[in-house]
Amino acid sequence: MSAVRTPTLTAPGAAPARRGQQTAWQRTLRRFRRNPLSVLGLCIVVFFTAVALIAPLLAHPTERNAYMIPHQGYSSDPHPPGPEHPFGTTEEQFDLYYGVIWGTRSAFLVALTVVAFGLVVALTLGSLSGYYGGWVDEVVMRVTDIFLAFPPLILAVVIVAVLGQSVRNAMIAIAAVQWPTYTRLLRAEFLRVRDMDFVEAARALGVSDFLIIMRHVVPNTIYPMLILASLDMGGIVINFAALSFLGLGAPPGYADWGQLISLSKNWILGTAGDPFQFWYTLVVPGTAIFLFVLGWNLLGDAFRDIFDPRQQGSM
Amino acid sequence: MSRFIARRLLLLPFVALGVTALIFSLTQLLTPAMRASLYITDPRQLNGLPDIIRKYHLDQPVYVQYWEWLRQVAHGDLGWSETAREPVLAAVQGFFPATFELAAYSFACILALGIWLGTASAVRKDQIIDHISRFTSISGASLPTFVWGLVLLMIFYGHFGWFPPGRLGLDADLFVRSGRFHPYTGLLTVDALLNRQWWLLWDAARHLVLPVATLTYFLTATLVRITRSSMLETLRADYVRTAEAKGLPRAVVVDRHARRNALIPVITLASLLFVGLLSGVVITETVFNWPGIGRWGVAASQQLDIPAVTGFALIFAAMLVLGNLCADVLYAVVDPRIRLR
Amino acid sequence: MAYLGGDDAERRHAEGRSRRAESRQRAVGVVVQRGLVVAVAMLVAVLMYGTGARGAASESVRNPDSLVLLTYGDPESLDPAYAYDTTSDGVIWPGIYETLITYDGSVLSRYVPRLATAVPSVANGLISKDGLTYTFPIRQGVHFHDGTVMTPADVRYSMLRFMLQDRDGGPSWLLLTPLLGTDSTRDSKGNVVVKYADAAKAVTVEGQNVVFHLNHPYAAFLSILSAWSFVLPEKWAAAHGDWDGSAASWTKYNNPKLQDRYEFDHTNGTGPFMLQTWDRQTKELILVRNDHYWRAPAKLARVVIRTVSEFPARQLELQRGDADVIAVDRPDQTKVTGIAGVTVQDGYPTLVIQVMHFNQKIDSTANPDVGSGKLDGNGIPPDFFSDVHVRRGFAYAFDYNTFIRDAFRGKALQPNGPIIQGLLGYDASLPKFTFDKQKAIAEFKEAWGGKLWDTGFHFTETYNTGNAARQIGAQIIKDVVESLNPKFKVDIRNIQFSSFLQVTVEHKGTLYALGWAADYPDPDDFAQPFLASNGDYPKRNGFSDPRADQLVKQGAETADPAKRAQIYRELTKIAYDDVPGIYEAQATQFVVMRSWVHGWYYNAILPPLANVGFDFYTITKQ
Repeated sequence: MSAVRTPTLTAPGAAPARRGQQTAWQRTLRRFRRNPLSVLGLCIVVFFTAVALIAPLLAHPTERNAYMIPHQGYSSDPHPPGPEHPFGTTEEQFDLYYGVIWGTRSAFLVALTVVAFGLVVALTLGSLSGYYGGWVDEVVMRVTDIFLAFPPLILAVVIVAVLGQSVRNAMIAIAAVQWPTYTRLLRAEFLRVRDMDFVEAARALGVSDFLIIMRHVVPNTIYPMLILASLDMGGIVINFAALSFLGLGAPPGYADWGQLISLSKNWILGTAGDPFQFWYTLVVPGTAIFLFVLGWNLLGDAFRDIFDPRQQGSM
Repeated sequence: MSRFIARRLLLLPFVALGVTALIFSLTQLLTPAMRASLYITDPRQLNGLPDIIRKYHLDQPVYVQYWEWLRQVAHGDLGWSETAREPVLAAVQGFFPATFELAAYSFACILALGIWLGTASAVRKDQIIDHISRFTSISGASLPTFVWGLVLLMIFYGHFGWFPPGRLGLDADLFVRSGRFHPYTGLLTVDALLNRQWWLLWDAARHLVLPVATLTYFLTATLVRITRSSMLETLRADYVRTAEAKGLPRAVVVDRHARRNALIPVITLASLLFVGLLSGVVITETVFNWPGIGRWGVAASQQLDIPAVTGFALIFAAMLVLGNLCADVLYAVVDPRIRLR
Repeated sequence: MAYLGGDDAERRHAEGRSRRAESRQRAVGVVVQRGLVVAVAMLVAVLMYGTGARGAASESVRNPDSLVLLTYGDPESLDPAYAYDTTSDGVIWPGIYETLITYDGSVLSRYVPRLATAVPSVANGLISKDGLTYTFPIRQGVHFHDGTVMTPADVRYSMLRFMLQDRDGGPSWLLLTPLLGTDSTRDSKGNVVVKYADAAKAVTVEGQNVVFHLNHPYAAFLSILSAWSFVLPEKWAAAHGDWDGSAASWTKYNNPKLQDRYEFDHTNGTGPFMLQTWDRQTKELILVRNDHYWRAPAKLARVVIRTVSEFPARQLELQRGDADVIAVDRPDQTKVTGIAGVTVQDGYPTLVIQVMHFNQKIDSTANPDVGSGKLDGNGIPPDFFSDVHVRRGFAYAFDYNTFIRDAFRGKALQPNGPIIQGLLGYDASLPKFTFDKQKAIAEFKEAWGGKLWDTGFHFTETYNTGNAARQIGAQIIKDVVESLNPKFKVDIRNIQFSSFLQVTVEHKGTLYALGWAADYPDPDDFAQPFLASNGDYPKRNGFSDPRADQLVKQGAETADPAKRAQIYRELTKIAYDDVPGIYEAQATQFVVMRSWVHGWYYNAILPPLANVGFDFYTITKQ
C-alpha cells in the first residue's frame, strides 16, 4: 500500500477543499457503492454482527453455559420446523434456531480470537523480523518454515488430540496453524516500508526504533492486515467446522454452526422414501456458514479492490 | 542458480528435524498411559496397560524417544503405524499413489477452470460473467468440503447411481487383485490404460468424478481470485494500454501478452494450491472412502499414532520444500526480471 | 513496437486473427451462458425429481456368490491368540478358525461338537466327577487350509500357544484362569512367573484325545472353549518364526508386538473360509471358500468385509445393492427402514450391559473433572462416591425409561444388576432402582452427614465421543440432578474413546459409562469383573465387598446349576445394596441386510461385525 496515502488520510470526512473535488474517502466510498458484490458483503457482515450482539434477546439462554443449546427430550430423530422450534431440531432435539443465533456469537468469537492472536503475533514477530533483519529474521523465518511445512489440518488435529477436545483447544489449534502465514505477510510489508524515505528521515532525526515502528510502519500495514483478516474470517469458521466433522471441534450440543453441520451428516441422505426429509438439519446451519463466509470474502475482496493504490487514478 | 538450489535443499533436513521435533514435544503433554491409548482398541484390553507402556518404551523421557526414533530413521526404518497396521514406509508407499491420482486430476481441473474463469472475469470486469464467476467460485469455498461431498454423493450416487464412492467396484477390485493385472504406476487410470483394460479405466474414472469435483469446487475460488487480480493488473500495465491504444483488439492482447505475464503469480499459487489440496484431500477422502494418505493421516492424528504422524509429516515437508523450490525455479525461468540469489 | 505499424500483411494477418479471436470470445461467452442455463435446469430437475423413486434397487441379486459386508471398525490382528476386539474375532471365528465345540445355533446352553467328536459331560464320562478333567476326542480327517492334516498335537500346541503368548491386554487369561489359576503369565513388573511345566501338565494328549486338567473346578469351562479354543497347525507356525512348542524357548515368544507374528496377517485354520487378501490400505478383507472343508463346502464363494466409517456411504451402498449387510447404529435406524429390497430384523437379545460407574477413589491430581477437589460446592472430594447415599441418590435420579426409549428406541430392558437376562441366575423379580425424584432427594439429604444438600457439588461426567447412548445417559443425569437442587452442578465432557479408557484406568473418571460384552455366556464372566475386588471395574473404581468376593469364588467353582443360580441371585442383591454402578440398559439388537440374503442365524456370542455376529457358512444369496 502506498506511502502517498498516509499524509492525506487523516480523519474521515476531512472537508473537501473545493466544490467539485472529492476527498480520497469519498472517492473510496463511491467506488465501494458502485460494486454490488461489495455492498452485499458489507450488508451480510453488518447483519451477522447485529445478530451476534443481540443474541440473548433473540434466543433466551436456559442453560448455565449460554452456549449450550437447550433441548427437549433426547430422541434421536430430528424434527422439522414447527411452532416450538422455528428452524426445527437436530438429533437429540437440539433447537436449531437457538443454535444458529448463538452460533453467530461463537463464530465471531472463534474467528476474531484467532485473527487477533494471529495479528498480534504477526505484528510482534513480523516487525522484529522485518525491521531488524539479520539473525532475528533468520530465526523467525525458519520457525515459520517449520510450521508451514506441516499439512495444516493434520497439525490442528494433532494439537486438539493432545490437548483434549474443547472450543478453547480448537481455537489454539487453528491459531497455531494460521500465525505463520500472517507473520510472513506482515514481514514482507515491513520490509517494504522500512526502506522508504520517511522512515529513513525519521531514523536520521534520531527517533527511537520503537516509535518508528509504532508511528510510521504499523499504520502503513493496516490495509494488508485488514484484507487478510477479513478474508480469513470465513476460512477460520470453515476450519473449525472441519474439526467438528472429525469429532475434535466444539462438543455436541454446543451452539456452533460447524458442530450443527457435522451433526447433520448422517441425515443428509434422508430416508428411503424421502431424501430431503431432514433438509433443515443441513440447510439451516449451512446457510448461516455460507452467508457468513461469503460476506467476509466479498468484503475482503472489496477492501482489496478499494485499497489498491494502483486503482486510485483509474476512476 | 545451482547455489540457490543447493541452499534450498539444505533447508530440507532442517525443516524435517524441526517438524518432527515439534510433534514429539507435543506428545510430552501426554501421560505414558495416554500414549499407550493407541494400542488399546477394546476395554477388555486395559489390563495390559503397564505391559504396553513397558513394551513400547512410552515412559521414557521425550528426548530419549526422539533419539531412538532418529536412529531408526537413519537405518531407513520409519517405524510401525498402528493405525495402518503396517510399517510407516509401506503405508506411505501404498497410500500415496491413490492420493496422487486424486490430487493430480483435481490439480489439472482447478488450474484449467481457475485460469479460464479468472481470465474471463478480468477481461469482462464488473460485467455479469465477472459477478457470476466470482460468486460461484467463492461459494465453493463457503461451505465445508464434506457438505459438498455428501450432497454430490446423494445426488449422483444415491439418486442416479452414476458415480460410486470408494476407488473401484467389486468386479474391478477382484480383477486388480488377480494375477492378470500388472500395476505399473499405482495410478489406476494410468495402469488400466497400460493394461489395455478399457472397462477398468471406465470404472476407475467413474469413482474419481465425485471426489475430484468436490475438491475442484472447493479450491477453485482462490485460483480464480488470484488469476483475476493478476490479470487485472497486467491489463492495466503500460505496454498493454499502449497496445490497445494502437488499435490491437483486446483478444489478441489478452492471448499473446497479458496472459503469460499474469501467469507468474499463478505459478507461486500452484504451490499454495498443493498445500490446499493435501488439506482438502483429508476430508474428501474420508467422505468418499478413498484409500489415500489423507484418510490415513487424519486417523493417525486423531489416535496419536506418533510414528505415523511423524513419518507423514516428514514426507509432506519434503514434498513442500521441493515443490517450493520448483516453483521458484519456474518463476525465474518465466520472468527474466527475477534473479535467484 | 515492432509488430505495430509493421507491414500491411502482418497487420491484416493480425486483424484477421483478432476477428477470429473476437468471435471466439463471443462464442465462449455464449457457451458459458448456455452452460449456466443447462446447469440451472439440471438443478431444478434434480430438485423436482428428488422425491421420486430412489435409485432403482435391482430385483435380481447382485454378486450372487459374494457377500459384501460393511462395518466401521477394522480388524487389529488375525492371530487367534492375539486378537481381542470384536472385528478381529468376528473375522477369525467361525469363518477361518474353528473351536473344539461350539454353541448349538442360537441356543447358548447347548453345545455341539466341531473339531472334537463329542461334547464332554459328566454323563458320558468325559468330564471327571471332581470337575477337574475334561477329555476331548479329536476328529480325524480334518485338513488345514494348507492341506496338512489336523492332529491332537496341533490342538495341544494351539491351546498352549493361546495361553503362553499372553500379549498384554489379550485374551490369554480366558484359558490361563481355569487351567493355571492365574490371569497372566507375568507379574506386575513384567517378569514371567509361570513355569512351562505347569502349562504342559494342564493340556495333554492321550491317543486321539486332548485332555484338559483344570486348576480348580470351573463350571463355565465348556462355555469358554466353545468361543476360544481355536486350532492352528504347529509345524506351520514354527516354520514361520513362531514358537516351536519346546519348553526352552517359549518365553522368547511371550508378549509379542502386533507385527512380530506371522499369524498377524496370515491364516491357516480349518474353517469353511480361507483368507485371500487383507488389504489394510483399502481396508478390505476377502475370504474365499475352502473347498476341502471337513463338512460340505460353504455355499458362498466369497465374503468381502470392508471398513466404511461414514454412515451415509454405507447407507447408499446398501440401497444400491452394492453391499449386502451394513453396520447401523440405533439412532440411524429410521434411515434404513423402508428401503426397497432391504429387511430390518429387530429384537435380538444381546449379552451386553451398559453401566454407569461410580469412581469411589478418584485421582484428583491434574484432574479437570473434580473442580476444587473439595466438598465446598465447587467440586467433589476424591471419595465423593464412597458414600452409599450419594450413589443411591444418583441411581434414583436416572430416568431409566426415558433413556431406553430415546437411546435405544425402546429396544432394551433395565437390568437389576450385572447378571443380565440370558445368563444363569438372572431373576427378573429381584428389586431394582426406579426413577424417583423424591427418593433421590431423600438420599442426597442424608449424604455426607446431611452436609451435601446445603453445600452442593460441581463435577464433570465424561463419555466417549460418537456414542449417542452414552451421551444421552450423561445428559439425563445432568438434567435430572440439576433440577433437584440448584447447588448441584454437573457438566459433561466428551473425549476420544481411547483417551476415555485411559482416564478410567488412571482412576481419573468421576461418573462414566462403559459397556461390558460377554466373553462367554456364563454369569461368572459378568460377576467377576463387576463385583469381585480383583475384578476390572472394582479395581478401577475402588469398590470392594468381601461378601461379594466369597460368592463370586463359590459361583465359579460350584457345578450344580441350581446352587449357582442361587449364588448369583445373592450377588444381584449385593449389587442392589452396594450400588457400585447404575445398571442402565441391556440392549436388543437389530440387523440390516438385503432381502436376497438367506440362512443367517442369530447367536449372541458371535462377535458382532455389523450389529450382530455372522456365521458365513450357512449364508446364501438368492
